[in-house]
Amino acid sequence: MSIRTISRRQISEEEKPVFHKHVCPPKHSGPPPDPVAPTVTIARNLMVTINLPLPDGGAVPMWIIEDPDDQVGGQVFPSKMIRVVEGDVVHVRTGVKTNTHTIHWHGIEPTPMNDGVGKHSFEVSGNFTYQWLAGQSGTYFYHCHKNTTLHFEMGLYGLLIIDPPRGEGYVAGFNPPSHVIPYDVEALWVVDEIDSRWHRELASTHDAFMQKCDPNDPSAPGPFTQNGFLNDFRPDIFLITGVPRLDDDTPIMDPAVAVYAKVGQTILLRILHSGYTVQRYTIGIDAEAIAFDGRPFGVPPFGKYSKPFAISAGTPFTLTVARRIELIIRPKRPGVFPAQVEFLHDITGRRLAMARTVINVS
Amino acid sequence: MNRRDFLRYAVVGAAALTLDGCMKRASVQPPTHHSHRTTSYSLNISEALVEMVDGTAVYMWLYEDPMKGPSFPGPVINANEGDRIILSITNTLDEDHSFSVPGVVESGNIAPGEKKVLTFTVPATGTYLYFDSLNAPVNRILGLHGAMVVLPHDTGNNPYTNPASAVRELFNDLGHAEHFPGEPWIAERTRIWLFTSVDPKFNQMAMEGKLINPEELVNSYLPRYFTINGQSGAFAAHDHNNVPSGRIGQPHLIRLLNADVDFHSPHIHGNHVYVTAINAQTRDNAQFVDTFTLAPMDRVDWLLPFMRPPDIPGDPNMPLRELVKNELSKVLGDVPQSPLTYPMHGHDELSQTAAGGNYPQGLVTTWEITGDLDGVDFPSVH
Ligand SMILES: [Cu+2]
Repeated sequence: MSIRTISRRQISEEEKPVFHKHVCPPKHSGPPPDPVAPTVTIARNLMVTINLPLPDGGAVPMWIIEDPDDQVGGQVFPSKMIRVVEGDVVHVRTGVKTNTHTIHWHGIEPTPMNDGVGKHSFEVSGNFTYQWLAGQSGTYFYHCHKNTTLHFEMGLYGLLIIDPPRGEGYVAGFNPPSHVIPYDVEALWVVDEIDSRWHRELASTHDAFMQKCDPNDPSAPGPFTQNGFLNDFRPDIFLITGVPRLDDDTPIMDPAVAVYAKVGQTILLRILHSGYTVQRYTIGIDAEAIAFDGRPFGVPPFGKYSKPFAISAGTPFTLTVARRIELIIRPKRPGVFPAQVEFLHDITGRRLAMARTVINVS
Repeated sequence: MNRRDFLRYAVVGAAALTLDGCMKRASVQPPTHHSHRTTSYSLNISEALVEMVDGTAVYMWLYEDPMKGPSFPGPVINANEGDRIILSITNTLDEDHSFSVPGVVESGNIAPGEKKVLTFTVPATGTYLYFDSLNAPVNRILGLHGAMVVLPHDTGNNPYTNPASAVRELFNDLGHAEHFPGEPWIAERTRIWLFTSVDPKFNQMAMEGKLINPEELVNSYLPRYFTINGQSGAFAAHDHNNVPSGRIGQPHLIRLLNADVDFHSPHIHGNHVYVTAINAQTRDNAQFVDTFTLAPMDRVDWLLPFMRPPDIPGDPNMPLRELVKNELSKVLGDVPQSPLTYPMHGHDELSQTAAGGNYPQGLVTTWEITGDLDGVDFPSVH
């Protein structure tokens, strides 16, 4: 008996536009379609290439989203953080200088044209002003959503923090009746890995391995690229908040990463997984998890089905790509408490590398 | 219910089990009764060439509903808690295979040409993965897997029999509490998103009758295609069986399963989701997330509340059809912006590729908001 075939389904005439748009979104520019007066206006340009120095004296090219209004710190990796206050109506004037890009506000939930996903709206060519409400304080990030496999890996992302109305120094969390928790020290761990081969070989190919598409036959197999390697990620550089680690054993002491606090202070640690591996964290001091993904546990109404949970010193926890966790740490005694991230292969589970840092309590 | 499904019920009586190869689950539920029922069904373990998103035909091993032919993944088994199932499984292939739902039923080796009859009790409500447990994970990743969905006898507005209190409260609040205006959840508003991937070099070895060493597979597996319910990219994103669709206030339950050897990190736009169960255990701590982890073999239930997307500025009492009427009237790239559509995709972005590129022709689908809370649909534009 010959082997039967399960064919791809045939698409109808009516489906052709959405199949075409799926890989070849239209280009668009201009103001938001239904503008509301902003309380905050921010500028971001895509994109700028910078060289990230490595501990061995070399460097790796990164693509970043720049803040053109900041002549001093506007071109950094990870891309410059956006920080607004809950209730802000935010406009981001987005300038695209090369090819097309988008910005997606991960965890923020506006309309599709402000969500920055090409196949659900458009890719920005020239300028577009994204509009969204900072509806719930918490830890978010923003990133380019075009050929994302490559563009996110190349560095087109940054943290996005929404502070509660009381501003920095407070974070939403279970603490009735106010449901804000004051903190003294804030730490931001943005944990990433880099496959330097991607950065060397694809640094000038925004559209690397993307499919050509034919509006008259958008599901035709012919225009598919057959030789890409964006399914093959072999990281060789491991970083916390843009600081590459030296080796498995040497802790990163850079103050952008290592935490310095005093007994009696409250530390808020925000972690974003911005790589592609499975990351296993172990922190040598008791912590309490107060939120995932910008949604505080235990805070009514939407958080009332959840509650904060303890992570005892030395107990590992795992994050996968794009997840965020907020931890509150209240050190009770002085000491240098180790923290580590193990980067695990997403199929074999083998440890590829480790990055260490410390929480230094005086 | 289509004609064939109707006939099948007619044949087996008030069956409490449906096997649905064309993924029209949820819309097809048999009559339910308090008394536990026994249902008989058949599956073949067989083979087929499955066309991937780029047209490449890949040899796969599949569970097959003999009345419908092979499907990738296997047919959805819909069942009710406590019922008995008599499952006849025939192995039509040239090597031993099995049928396993850990903790529920384990066939042991089924020899080539052999038919085994398994009798088991349908387990507690939740989402289960059935698969061939032999030579793990080889036989599973070559296609021998599918979803089993267990509902209570009287489902009503909650998919679980004895949920943890947080999950019970959540389902009670939908359509009742002030923060969840609209309707309660109903069983029809369910979708299954079963993830896996394909590395054709191992499928080729299977076609040639070569033995595949599981350690070798895990160590050299390079997924080339990523699928949701057997489809990728635009095909997965525009199949209504995958796409939750409704107005604001019409919550959907999504049952995610990971048959892959790879971790996945699915991310949804437009709404956060509640994690109501992991591996058929309801959660006392139902977190509200936009991204979650599925290790290999994990099953995670999400409650997608179909809230008004919370970060649209403007008067929260104005219907969206008025507040964002310019956007809803736009046509971009020959596609109307009404209804409001959002993606769900793997954020381990390797999973967004096919054949190493072709973004976004991987593990991606869509959900759509078709109208306002007051029952008025968004205008359609042509
Ligand atoms: Cu980009």
